[in-house]
Amino acid sequence: MPSIDDVTNTPDELSDDDATELFEEADLVQDMMGEVCPYPQVEAKKGLQQLESGDLLVQETDHVPCTENVPRAVGDDADAKVWRSGDATYRIYLRKR
Amino acid sequence: MVLSTLLVAALVGTALGAFLQKGRFCFVNAFRDFFAYKDSRVTKGVLAATLLTMVFWGIAYQFGYYQTFWTPQWGLTGLVGGFIFGIGMTYAGGCASGTLYRAGEGYLQFWLTLLCMGIGYAAFTVAFPTLDSTYFAALTVGEGVSLFTVTSIPAGLLGVGVAIVALLGYATLVGRASTTAEFGERADVAQLHLGALRAPVIGLRQFARGTATYARGLARAWRTPIAASKQPWDPRTAALGITAAAVLWFTQHSIVGVTGPEARWTGYLLSQVGVEANSFEYWGSVLFQGQGVDVTVDMVMIAFVIVGAFLAAVWSGDFAVRVPKRRRLPNAVVGGLLMGAGSRLAPGCNIGNIYSGIAELSVHSFIAAVGIVAGVYVMTHWIYREVGCAI
Repeated sequence: MPSIDDVTNTPDELSDDDATELFEEADLVQDMMGEVCPYPQVEAKKGLQQLESGDLLVQETDHVPCTENVPRAVGDDADAKVWRSGDATYRIYLRKR
Repeated sequence: MVLSTLLVAALVGTALGAFLQKGRFCFVNAFRDFFAYKDSRVTKGVLAATLLTMVFWGIAYQFGYYQTFWTPQWGLTGLVGGFIFGIGMTYAGGCASGTLYRAGEGYLQFWLTLLCMGIGYAAFTVAFPTLDSTYFAALTVGEGVSLFTVTSIPAGLLGVGVAIVALLGYATLVGRASTTAEFGERADVAQLHLGALRAPVIGLRQFARGTATYARGLARAWRTPIAASKQPWDPRTAALGITAAAVLWFTQHSIVGVTGPEARWTGYLLSQVGVEANSFEYWGSVLFQGQGVDVTVDMVMIAFVIVGAFLAAVWSGDFAVRVPKRRRLPNAVVGGLLMGAGSRLAPGCNIGNIYSGIAELSVHSFIAAVGIVAGVYVMTHWIYREVGCAI
């Protein structure tokens, strides 16, 4: 059972420039537009299983809760960063550990 | 309907919709993610809302500021209907309240889910006379009751007492988890025994620390109210707002329900296109209680939940018309049908039975809540079958 303290632990947000730059490095891009929970979580876990340590997985999504739930779901398997476009689309960057 | 009643319904509905949207207050998320990877952020929000509402409803009831409880007959129908509803909401990716606020956020998928829930209500209504004499007759055990009304303990005190017991139980679980981690695998029996005694204390201390951190965060957010209001909120903040709206509703109308009013909307909308909804026993005498098929105050409230979610989503930059992937259509159709039928078979949805039902200490809802959570558990394991669940 996790402690109540980890509520505040939301992923870091990327600036627009960093998000664009980092996106070009992606080893795997998953199109999750139009998908809702929990499928992006399941796909992220499956995607990371195919990747090597240090590889970058990027999910593109329009489902707000995914920005928190996907990083949670992969847990210690990857370092997560999030980019919010400001018009209801989001990218989740997962660097496999 | 009197104008003031309508205004209260609009206010409560808008507030509920906005708080649900801001807190991403999703009951599927609360249980599914807890089972799948022990994420309890939303679970805590749901617990906080339920317990706080229970305390304030108990107090309101004790001092006579209430209208009615919702206490259906109890029995195995709660388990069966609840289980079907739990399967449905996990597959659909949104519970009764989640479907409403996501409809307001612009998800076409959840408008389709709503439509299919309507088909579920209509199918149940057609089958009701048969179900009443077979399914309900066989599985119903006794008259429904709220524990607030049958004990000699003052309701306010009972609410506070149950909340304290729940908090201690929670603290023990949290405390035990952290002491086990501290001792590691080499812990001997004596240490573990000591740990069991210390667990509630450690848990309470963690709870106090967590609540203090949360309160500081909230105070910080108040300094920049406009910017903070656009950010996603902690589910516990949403829980506070939902409680306030639910207490107002309880003093003016009843408990908060979602699928009952939705089933009435289905009957009303069908009656507008020429269907004799009133001649069906379930709509005519059960849902509309012989008052005729018309718009009732709780139907107005539920409609405003969508409005509130829409306004909050536009304000936060989260609104967009979202077109689902074609492979997700079965989730909306099958999930919606199961939620529609399951909520009538129980009867009640996650809001009626988990949030409101536990908060009003209804015997029926205790059973139905178990059914719903069991349904979520089974369906979560099925969806996560390739990657595995934590619990």
